Amino acid sequence: MTIDQSLIGVIGAGTMGAGIAQVAAQAGFETRVYDVSQEFVDRGLARIRSFIQGSKDRGKMTSEEAEGVLGRLKGTLDLAELGAARLIIEAAPEKLELKRDIFQRLEASAEHDTLLATNTSSLSVTAIAAATKTPERVLGMHFFNPPPLMGLVEVIQGDQTSPATMEAGVEIVRRMKKTPVRAKDTPGFVVNRIARPFYNEALRILEDGDVTVETVDRIMKEAGKFRMGPFELMDLIGNDINFAATESLYRAFFHDPRFRPSPIQHRMFLAGHLGRKTGQGFYKYERK
Amino acid sequence: MNANSFAIVGTNRLARELHALCKAKGLRSSHHAEPDSADTSAVLAMETLPGTEAEKRRNLERLEAKLSPSAVIVSSCLGFSATRIGSWTSRPERVVGFATFYPVEEKKVIEITAGLRTREEFIGRTEEFFRQLGKDAVRVKDAPGLVFPRILSLIINEAVRSLDEGVAAAEEIDAALRLGTNYPQGPLRWADQAGLDEVLTVLEGLREETGDDRYRPSPLLKKLVLAGRLGECSGEGFYPYDKPR
Repeated sequence: MTIDQSLIGVIGAGTMGAGIAQVAAQAGFETRVYDVSQEFVDRGLARIRSFIQGSKDRGKMTSEEAEGVLGRLKGTLDLAELGAARLIIEAAPEKLELKRDIFQRLEASAEHDTLLATNTSSLSVTAIAAATKTPERVLGMHFFNPPPLMGLVEVIQGDQTSPATMEAGVEIVRRMKKTPVRAKDTPGFVVNRIARPFYNEALRILEDGDVTVETVDRIMKEAGKFRMGPFELMDLIGNDINFAATESLYRAFFHDPRFRPSPIQHRMFLAGHLGRKTGQGFYKYERK
Repeated sequence: MNANSFAIVGTNRLARELHALCKAKGLRSSHHAEPDSADTSAVLAMETLPGTEAEKRRNLERLEAKLSPSAVIVSSCLGFSATRIGSWTSRPERVVGFATFYPVEEKKVIEITAGLRTREEFIGRTEEFFRQLGKDAVRVKDAPGLVFPRILSLIINEAVRSLDEGVAAAEEIDAALRLGTNYPQGPLRWADQAGLDEVLTVLEGLREETGDDRYRPSPLLKKLVLAGRLGECSGEGFYPYDKPR
């Protein structure tokens, strides 16, 4: 078996996995989405179909194009069906042992020169690659949520990733019509690390008192030109997810005070005030 | 006095821009590089003078000596709380803090703050002044850098650290934040526009005021300021510019 240059494999049919598969299929790649149960696979494919239907309804895609995209997408429960792929992107849950196990199995089932990428946002690419005997072909490809709409992919160089793997990864991201940004394997990579103070310092200012979330949001939008204020954005992201991201960076930087999480956000997380999805966060929302 | 006159004191782009904005709005304003030359008839003096605590203190003393006792002093509190700035003067009740980064032209909102001894009357006159400039003055708690300059300075600091550590190149960092989280511009480009010295002032002020290490400035940021690479205003920062602006 040799590499099929037009084939991309995706591990995991959740929000990120399905989104990445959609991006690949829309860019013209034959795409195989793997998950551990038919139910997960079906749910992921249904999500893609509904997104594509929406694009068709809004006139952003012709029926022909939509058929083409869906024709190139296939779900599977068999890792071997991904074996000849040019690239396999893992988008499994953010658990190091699970990902290390997946990469060992990919190494055994894929061609020796298939690129193996992880879509991790909070784990070390180097730590995942170290589970394989060929870490030079392992890289990070961090897509942003939702992948079909977000233009950026962070292409992450683990300590043992070869320059050729990085070049090939960057090239495929371009073919997927996304903008690649190269970064070294460091906690939070580029975006999650540098954007952290947008949330964290806003929370610190709230802790200092004498100010409302409405005022801070308004200042950041009208004095700062940000599209959303930090509290609105935290409510959109979810205070559980945002808090976990901060905590993970704080741990990864060995408790550097730059990343110290906020007791206010911790309390909101514990209270279940997660934001829009629960109807209550820094603001109140009408339940749909 | 037949019409209220305003004195803008400072040499940075922000001072020049504020003076031009006063003119555009038909206000009587004068621009002074040095506090000693400030218009003695001004009802309100706004200063954006840089410097260490000793330098800024000396500048405030010189400014105060020129102004009438009833004039408002609107002082840039990027690096010091309004309470601290007020403590250098003999009339802290008339000292109001404001904090913003260049440019102000497109901003609807200007942040202002009262020190612990600032009297409401002077806050009201400051709000009125900004209203005449077409800005809504929003009052926040007294701290170096207030809200927007404080948050943006921390984002920039983290971007400069990432650059210094070799995590990614400058253009890539900026592209990542624009595309990955919809920032209106990348943090390093933004730093060049605001002025690296102004960003450093905020970080050092917060570190001094709070004693918290989370504000410690990136060593690269300090070096760039020492090397005179301040951004657009010096012709070079993280990116080169044709000429100083």
